[in-house]
Amino acid sequence: MNDLSGFDCLAHPLGEWLKGTGPESDVVISTRVRLARNVSGFPFTARADARQRSEVLRLATEALRSVHLEKSVVTLDLQQVAEMDRDILVERHLISRELAGAEGPRGVTFGRGEMLSIMVNEEDHLRLQWIKSGFDPDRAFSALRRVDAAMETALPIAFSPLYGYLTACPTNVGTGMRVSVMVHLPALTLMEHVDKVFKAAQRMNHAVRGLYGEGTRAFGDMYQLSNQATLGRSEEEIVAGIKAIVPQVLEYERRMRGELYTEKREFVEDKVLRSLALLRNARRLSVQEMMSHLSLVRLGVDLKIVTDVSMDTLNRLFILGQPSHLQREAHAVLNPTEREARRAELVRAKLATATN
Amino acid sequence: MDCQCCQKKPARIRICDVLENAVTEQANICPDCWIFVKRYMFDPARPLAPTLQVLAEVRGLIDNIPGKALATVPPPGEITPVEPAQPVPVCPECGMTLAEFKHKGRFGCARDYEVFAGHLDPLLERIHDVTPPRHKGRRPAHAPAGDALVQRSRDLAGLRQQLQAAVAEENYELAAKLRDQIQTLERAPAPGGAA
Ligand SMILES: [Zn+2]
Ligand SMILES: [Zn+2]
Repeated sequence: MNDLSGFDCLAHPLGEWLKGTGPESDVVISTRVRLARNVSGFPFTARADARQRSEVLRLATEALRSVHLEKSVVTLDLQQVAEMDRDILVERHLISRELAGAEGPRGVTFGRGEMLSIMVNEEDHLRLQWIKSGFDPDRAFSALRRVDAAMETALPIAFSPLYGYLTACPTNVGTGMRVSVMVHLPALTLMEHVDKVFKAAQRMNHAVRGLYGEGTRAFGDMYQLSNQATLGRSEEEIVAGIKAIVPQVLEYERRMRGELYTEKREFVEDKVLRSLALLRNARRLSVQEMMSHLSLVRLGVDLKIVTDVSMDTLNRLFILGQPSHLQREAHAVLNPTEREARRAELVRAKLATATN
Repeated sequence: MDCQCCQKKPARIRICDVLENAVTEQANICPDCWIFVKRYMFDPARPLAPTLQVLAEVRGLIDNIPGKALATVPPPGEITPVEPAQPVPVCPECGMTLAEFKHKGRFGCARDYEVFAGHLDPLLERIHDVTPPRHKGRRPAHAPAGDALVQRSRDLAGLRQQLQAAVAEENYELAAKLRDQIQTLERAPAPGGAA
């Protein structure tokens, strides 16, 4: 479908959503809205044969081309993308682990800013997502809605007046919409209130997951909060639901940060500055270690304990220090020890020269 | 089902106390009581009490507002359930059987929703915590929605925002008034008729 030789995943700049400039960016990293859609007349992906899948991929690609989404988009036929590059796309939140690991005709189209991404032949034929920096569900939704509406003019979409947009899994039917807010909660973690907050969120029909989605552990005190239900609520109500819960979590985290700063100043300064010293001097770093110390430094930046490191640098390190990014940078498959050494080197370099 | 907090409005939100992935207790409340309840639950000064206890405290708070006597609201008319399909439904398009769907938890094609319609409601109700489990929200351009319906939901959203602000300011008298207004607006017949 596309000539891949000219595309370099790593040379592609990191997503704009990582800038750390959006609303509530002291706590919220990003807001992602996802819509699940299927092309009518074809079985869902799991039940479609190779011929049907490539037909869906062809139709979707043509439709995407005809609607002129953004000035420039990248379209990749994932069957032709090497495994390591697929993992890089996962680490950048452009495709799911499931799509990276799947087989058969499948693809992804994303915008240059890496805010829009459309997966083809994931569990559903189309998975559209828009990521915004900070807490911004309204704008993420309205941006994605435009893309969705444009796609609907170019493709027949499976829809029922009773059940709404029809999806392979009954958990996505209706609006097909999932709003996920990635939050950084170091103070709640330090003060051991994080379990309580999650239990409260869970009671209110919102799920909490780790950084890379379902089943992943929370690294670096990063969590995703998202709506559970997609049926029986309008898109606006789903957005309102997440807007009803996220501010509570933010307020709670900020209160705990304030408490740390005013009542446990020495404790938090000690934690933060030790983490910074470790990151600036370590010769080997595991992913977990890097993320947990970055998390504390990020808290330190917010509390003005650390003044010579930018949020942007920290947000980027969370991604650039992931295994596939490191290996791609090294142009080699590295063993775990080599990766840890490379990671430590990267972190030292980024943190030494201070801002950016 | 009525809200277990105010015992007046239809419950729309289910709060499940979870212990090690198992639900230990459930409470169903209306969206307006939820605004009070969540403020309680996310209060750093309070430990996270069992939901039923939180509801009792919130009820106490609301009942203490002078001049509060809400009229009992009859539950809104139920949508007629879908006729059950043939005894052993098989999808003519993709060959999915009801048994296979129940085993895999995934549909084979869009047609399955129609073929299994008579069997889906309990499942969808459980997953999405909504009765009846019907779509609400946008539809493809070729199926236009009623504008009046959209307007009403906007009005309601506006009132709910005010309610939220009132609770945040602990102005419970105003909050109670707003809650009555929301109730009245919700009781009015749906403009245009929902799908
Ligand atoms: Zn109530
Ligand atoms: Zn079927």
